[in-house]
Amino acid sequence: MNLAARLKPFNTPLTLVAVVLVIALLTQLVGISLLTRIVTVMFVSIILVLGLQLYMGNSGILNFAHIGFMGIGAYTAVLFSMTPEAKVLTNSDLYLFLVPLHLPFLPSLLIGGLVAALFAALISYPLMRLSDAAAVITSFALLVIIHVVLLHWDRVSNGPRTLFGVDNYTTLWVSVVFAVITIFVVYFFKESRIGLRLRASRDDRYAAASIGINMVVMRWLAFIVSAFIAGVGGGLWAHFITSFTPYSFYLNETFVVLAMLVIGGPYSVSGAVVGTLLVTATREVLRGIENQVNIMQIFPEGFFGFTEVVLAVVLILILIYRPTGIMGNRELRWPRRRNQAAPAETTEPEG
Amino acid sequence: MLELNDVHARYGAIIALRGVSIYISKGELVALLGVNGAGKSTTLGCIAGVLRPWQGGITFEGASILGKSPEQIARLGISLVPEGRDIFPSLNVEENLRLGAFTRSEKSEYRRNLGEVYDLFPVLKERLQQPGGTLSGGEQQQLAIARALMSSPRLLMLDEPSLGLAPALVDQIFELIARLHQRGVTILLVEQNVDRSLEIVDRAYLMNTGLIESHGSAQQLRAHTDIEGIYMGMQGQTKK
Amino acid sequence: MINLEFIINTLSLGSLYAMLALGLVIVYGILRLVNFAYGELVMVGGYTMYLATFYTPLPWLGVAVLAVLAAMLTSLFTELVAFRPVREKSLTAMLITSFAVSTLLQNGALLIISPRARAVTLPQIFQTSVMIAGTSVPWRNILIILTCILTLTVLTLLLRRTVLGIALRAAADNFTMTRMLGVPANTVISTAFAISGIMAGIVSIFWIGRSASVTPTIGAAPLLVAFVATVIGGMRSLTGAVVGGFVYAIIISLLGVILPPGLVEFREAFMFAIVIIILVFRPEGLIRSKSSEERVG
Repeated sequence: MNLAARLKPFNTPLTLVAVVLVIALLTQLVGISLLTRIVTVMFVSIILVLGLQLYMGNSGILNFAHIGFMGIGAYTAVLFSMTPEAKVLTNSDLYLFLVPLHLPFLPSLLIGGLVAALFAALISYPLMRLSDAAAVITSFALLVIIHVVLLHWDRVSNGPRTLFGVDNYTTLWVSVVFAVITIFVVYFFKESRIGLRLRASRDDRYAAASIGINMVVMRWLAFIVSAFIAGVGGGLWAHFITSFTPYSFYLNETFVVLAMLVIGGPYSVSGAVVGTLLVTATREVLRGIENQVNIMQIFPEGFFGFTEVVLAVVLILILIYRPTGIMGNRELRWPRRRNQAAPAETTEPEG
Repeated sequence: MLELNDVHARYGAIIALRGVSIYISKGELVALLGVNGAGKSTTLGCIAGVLRPWQGGITFEGASILGKSPEQIARLGISLVPEGRDIFPSLNVEENLRLGAFTRSEKSEYRRNLGEVYDLFPVLKERLQQPGGTLSGGEQQQLAIARALMSSPRLLMLDEPSLGLAPALVDQIFELIARLHQRGVTILLVEQNVDRSLEIVDRAYLMNTGLIESHGSAQQLRAHTDIEGIYMGMQGQTKK
Repeated sequence: MINLEFIINTLSLGSLYAMLALGLVIVYGILRLVNFAYGELVMVGGYTMYLATFYTPLPWLGVAVLAVLAAMLTSLFTELVAFRPVREKSLTAMLITSFAVSTLLQNGALLIISPRARAVTLPQIFQTSVMIAGTSVPWRNILIILTCILTLTVLTLLLRRTVLGIALRAAADNFTMTRMLGVPANTVISTAFAISGIMAGIVSIFWIGRSASVTPTIGAAPLLVAFVATVIGGMRSLTGAVVGGFVYAIIISLLGVILPPGLVEFREAFMFAIVIIILVFRPEGLIRSKSSEERVG
C-alpha cells in the first residue's frame, strides 16, 4: 500500500492542518507583530469553534454554555500558571490556599480543561435528556450562572475587576500546535462510532429514542469533550491576552464563536475552520475601517459597533439562504488526480 | 369533486405513499380503509396541505390544490378532523366552535350552523363554557366534528373518528356520519373499523403500504377481498 | 423587613416582571422560540424616549406612546425580515437568528447613537411619592401596578372576546390545527410579535424610569428577567407568565433580605439554577397547564 492510500482517511484533517501551517509560516515570514497577534488569536478561536462544532455538529443541539466553559478554563489555568506573587498582586483577596499553587504552562492548561470538563460532567447529565428547546434554554441558563459566579466570586476571580499579570505563554506556534491537535481530535471524534451514532440520532430523533439511554450517554460524552476543548482554549486565550474580566466570557464572545461556526458550516470540521478564517479576516477588515473612521473623526460620537452589525447581518443572511453554512455538509479534501475515481462523499441530510 | 392522481409522498427517508389515485364525487361517502401505517392519514394530510407530495397531482373541483397551504385549503371548503381530534384544550367549547367558523364571515350562516351543531350534538350545547381539555373522549370527538361543520365544508375528511371510543360511542359516531351523509355532506372517511364503515359508505378503497389495493362498493369489497384476513396480517388473499 | 414598603415594592416589581414575561411567552407559546432579541425591544423603547424628549416638544405621555409604538414596530419588523424566512427551517436556526438580531439591534444602537449612556428626562411624577399608611410610596411603583392591571385587562379582553385573540390562544395550543381551520399563520405570528413589542415598550417606560438613562446593553437584564419568570410560570401559558413574574419578584426580593451579604450577589445565579432545576424536573413550570415539553431520553 503506498503512502497516498495510507493517508486517505486522514485527507481532511491533513488538508486543514496544511492550511493552518501555511498561514502560520506566512505570518512568521512576514513578521509584523500585529499580524502575528491576529493570527495567534485566530488559531485560538479555531480551537474554540472546533470544540463547539464537536458538540453542536454531531448532536444538532445549540449549546450556549460553551464560552462559559472557556471562562472556567481560563480562570483555572491562570490560578496555576501565575506565580504566587503575581496572583496576590492582582487579587489581594485570593483564597489563601490558592496562592501557593504554581505549575508550568502545559499542566495549568490541562487542569483548566479538566476542571471545565468536570463541571460539565457533573452539571450536564440531567440536561441531556431534555428536548431541543429546553436543552438550549438550560445551556443559556448555565452560561448566565457561570458568568454571575465569575463576576461575584471575588476571592477566586477578582470579581468584575481585571485580572492582570498573566504570562504571555501563548505564542504563534503554541497556538498552532494546539490547533493542529484539536483538528485531529475533533475530526476523529466525528468519524468515531460515537460521532456516527450521535449524528444518526440527530437526524432521526424518534428512531434514536428507541436506543434510549445510549444516546443520552453519548451526548453527555460529547458535551464533556467539548467543554474540555473550550477550557483549554480559554487557558490559551488567557495566556495570550494576559488580562481579562468575566465579561470576556459572555454574550459577545458567544455571538462571535457562534457566528464563526454557523457561517462556516456547523456540520463539518472544515466548516469550523473555514468559518473562523473568514470571520476573522472580515472582522479585521471591518475593524480597520472602524478605526480609520474614528481617527478621521467623521462621527462626533465615534464609530463603534459597525463590525458586529455587519457580522450579525451576514449571519442572518446565511441562516436564511444557506443554513448549512459555507461548507454545507462537506469536508475539505485535497483534490484527487483526474484519472482516479472520486470517492463517494459522505453527504448527510440537511440538518 | 376531489381527485388524487398517482400521489407519492414521504416523511424524510420513509416513503409513505407510492402512487395513490382516488376520487370522490359530490355527496358521496367514501372510505379509506387499511391497517395502521397503510398511508391513510398521510393521504388526508396531502389533501389538507400539511404534507406536500413529491409526485402526482391533487385537484379539487377541477383546479389543482397541490402545494397549497393549509389555510388556503381550508378556505376552499375542505375540512379535516385529524386523528386524535386535536381540539384546542385551553379554549372552551364555544370558542372552539367559533374558530371553526373562521373562514365564514356571514353572521346568519354562523347562527344556522351553530343551530345544526346543537341539533346534532346536544351535549355540546350543555357544555359551552367548559374548556375543551376537560371533555371526555367522546365529547371531544363530537366537538371536533362539530367544529369542522361550522365552516360549512364542501368536503369533510374524518381521520379515525371512532378511535379510542367506547362501543356505545362508536355506534353514535357512525350513526352521525350516516346522518351527515344523508344531509348531503361529502365525506372522506379514514377508518380501521372496516365492518361499521362498509355498512354506511357508498364506496371504499383498501390501502396497504402506500398503495391502493382494491376499490369498490361495500358489496364488491366484501365479495372479492378477504377483509378479515387483511386485518389479521395475511395480505391480499382473495376469498375462497 | 417585610413591611408595607417591601410589599408594595415587591408588587410593583412583580407587575413589571409579569408584563415582561407575558411579552416573551406570547411568542414562545406559538413558535417555541425564545426571542433573544426581546430585551433589545426594551432598549428601543428607551432610546425612543431619549430621542423624543430631546428632539420633539411632545409631552411625556406622547413620548411614552411613541416608545411603545417604536418597540412594537421593531418587533414586527424583525419578524418580517429575520424570523419569517427561517421559520420553516428549524428551531435552532430561529434561535440563532434571534441571537443575531439581538446583537444587531444592540450594536445598531451603539453605531447610530452612541456607546455612552443617554439621559432620559423623566416626568415629574416619577420622582414624587405619596404617603400611604405611614410609609412613603413612590408614585412610580403605584403607576406600574396600575399599568399592569390595565394591560392585563385589555389583553384578556383581546384574547377572550376577539376572534384574533381566540386564534392566538388556539395557535399556542396547536398551531397546525389552527392553520387547518383557515387562520393565516402570518397574521397570528405577526400579532404575537406586535403584542410582544407592546409589552416591551410599556416595560421600557418604567425600566428607564428607574435609572433615567439608556445604554445599548440595557436590554440584557430585562431579557434574563423575562426568561426566568417564563420558565417558573411554565413556558406555554400566559397566566403562568404573569404568576411567574410575581413569583420571581417575590423570591428575589426575599433572597435580597434573607441572604447574608456574602451570598446576596449570587441571587441571579440562584435563580438560574432554579430555572435549570425546573426545566429538568418540571418543565411545565409551577402552573398546571394542558401541555408540556416532550422529553427525549
